[in-house]
Amino acid sequence: MRTWRERIGRAVPRGLGKPLGVLRGKLNPMAVYRRNPSFWKETGTAYLYLLPALVILTVFIFYPFFDAFRISLFKWGLLPPRPYVGFANYTYIFHDKYFWRSLWHTFYYVIITVPVTLFLAILVASLLNKGLRFLSFSRTSFFLSYISPIVAIAMVWRWMYNANYGLLNYLLSLLNKIPFVHIQPIDWLNNPDYALPAVIILSVWHYVGYQAIILLAGMQNIEQQYYDAAKVDGATGFQAWRRVTIPLLTPQLFFVFIMSLIGSFKVFTEVNVMLMGPGPLRSAETIVYYILRSSGRIDGATQHLGRAAAASVVLFGIIFALTIFQMTVTQRKVHYQ
Amino acid sequence: MLRKIVVGLLGVLLLGTAAMAANEPVTIDFWHAMSSGHQPNLQALITAFQAEYPHITVTLTYQGSYSALQGKINAAVAAGNLPTMAQVYENWVTPIESILYPIGPHMTMMEVGDIVDGLVPSNTYNGVLTTVPFNKSIMVLYYNADLIATPPATWAEFYDLAKTLTVDTNGDGTIDRFGTGLRPAANPEQFLVFLDQAGGSILNADWTEVTINDAAGMAAIQFLGSLIPYTFVTSDYMSDHMAQVAMFIDTSAGYNYNKTAATNAGYALGVAMLPVGPASQSSMIQGTNLAVFDVPNQTQAQKDAAVLLARFLLRAENTVFWAMKSGYQPVTRSAYETQAWKDFVAANPYQQAMSAQMLLGFSQILHPNYGDMRTILSTKFDEIMRGATGALDGLNSMAEEIEPLLSE
Repeated sequence: MRTWRERIGRAVPRGLGKPLGVLRGKLNPMAVYRRNPSFWKETGTAYLYLLPALVILTVFIFYPFFDAFRISLFKWGLLPPRPYVGFANYTYIFHDKYFWRSLWHTFYYVIITVPVTLFLAILVASLLNKGLRFLSFSRTSFFLSYISPIVAIAMVWRWMYNANYGLLNYLLSLLNKIPFVHIQPIDWLNNPDYALPAVIILSVWHYVGYQAIILLAGMQNIEQQYYDAAKVDGATGFQAWRRVTIPLLTPQLFFVFIMSLIGSFKVFTEVNVMLMGPGPLRSAETIVYYILRSSGRIDGATQHLGRAAAASVVLFGIIFALTIFQMTVTQRKVHYQ
Repeated sequence: MLRKIVVGLLGVLLLGTAAMAANEPVTIDFWHAMSSGHQPNLQALITAFQAEYPHITVTLTYQGSYSALQGKINAAVAAGNLPTMAQVYENWVTPIESILYPIGPHMTMMEVGDIVDGLVPSNTYNGVLTTVPFNKSIMVLYYNADLIATPPATWAEFYDLAKTLTVDTNGDGTIDRFGTGLRPAANPEQFLVFLDQAGGSILNADWTEVTINDAAGMAAIQFLGSLIPYTFVTSDYMSDHMAQVAMFIDTSAGYNYNKTAATNAGYALGVAMLPVGPASQSSMIQGTNLAVFDVPNQTQAQKDAAVLLARFLLRAENTVFWAMKSGYQPVTRSAYETQAWKDFVAANPYQQAMSAQMLLGFSQILHPNYGDMRTILSTKFDEIMRGATGALDGLNSMAEEIEPLLSE
């Protein structure tokens, strides 16, 4: 994308254009630019092209998004009357122990899934970037886990986790051949201690390929000259990776981190399909599961759309706050080439 | 005299107009969730209906899974474009009962009286039969017929058998086969069966008081608590764990899955009525009903046509046809007396227990907060059966948590 200076050309004398934030009125380069008739033409055309997407986003994203705030203030049913109840829905969920438990389960899931997936993705991308012989095959293989439908994956993993016949317990049992090692089969999906970890393992496996491909693309865009310079300075392979690859990969790392954080807070399908419910003793009930249950969409629960909307608003607040935090704090560490 | 002739002519004219109006072509939409296996049979019934009422065209629309159907109905309520009729679960329509077109008042007394007793309350709103039952199943006892020669007839026999059949076959200290299995979180209705058999209920008759933890409730939960050491507890379908359980309570609709799974596990599957409890041998009926919607986008002629279809599907020969083809149970009493059904039962002995059990069935209550009550039952029943809380403590927690739902 062109900078503002490139776009306005010689309209503003050199040196007067920055810092942009302190310029006002006639000296503001944008003000000068806006007087140019071509600005309005260009802008109009741009908006025209954006319009279809904007309409779809408005109808399916922005309107429901703002409406959720409104609904959260009412005792909302499918049919009127829908009395205004103020913050009663928020009071209810804040006094509901299952809301807090589902929030805790979600944080637990996010705190482990996001960094572990990212770490493994960096590792996989770095290995792929080493110039494997079958790079495109390996890339496809890793990406396959991501493009497979999550419902199908969860069904397959249900069997892999089966306590008696599952692949995972079989692999664990092989460890018993090592002297003094004795591992009992784990009842992954039917034990409250293992249900959520089982979901975490599935999610890490599911998303690591996608993240690795994005990071690999980033790695392959790093100019060779940086590595040459590092080599001249006597850097080892690891030092070049640590001091060149990782810093110059921060834009992709930042993107993947934010997206996986947002996505992880919304975990639901993996839980619902693989555990066929919220897990034993509701041990894997996540916040989205709680929201859907409150809305009456699962488990034959009563419809409390206001409460569901209130819980959605809380989830939005959490994701929003964390994203802002990341953008202000983490982005300082992002290096662009 | 002239006056009489004029009145007579007018009467004939009115009747003629009404008859003509009644035969005006009308198209109705019927949303359902019957997947490919059931669709040809449903279509066959619709074709027969259309042959009998040539002026009515029924547009059958498969909306996907039950969950998808529920979502479509909810969206259609908001959008104001509901179909004429749909297959519905009680919980879906309890919040929108005001826009249901009551079917019962348009049925004959004989038709209403013919519906299986246990299905009437769960289709009756404010004393009016509003929806009618469609595809229904009943919970029965499945058992390993290679291990169990005679299925248990009483709770005491059930307990003894469960205890005897719980074994650690390879002596490694873990149980390899449990006497029985339960799905408390996924199927809290299993608790309701024991509760009803003990003579208890969640609420009293007029829904003003929680009665789940009275003497009958305590008897039921204590019995279930005594079964904990001999019970395999899971949220999975029991057909995924056939080798691990000797007998279990499950819906009749799961027969084909359970039979295949039992064959794969190397044993013959038996089906029996539930053991008799202290008060009765009842069991819980589950499944969907048919609702006609009383909304502005549906004309009176469409609603009338939908009522005709509902009545047609309730006819003995049709509910029998549907049951024989689908694996669900007939929903009218006369259906069980038809020769076709008797022949079918004779040819499929497992149906004997299902049929007999169906006539002793009960359904869920239509309380607006039943869904929340079910969540509480599911959570606490799971805690009890997994030993996370004591049986009586869990039961009292159920009662405490259900109590506020009565005043919401």
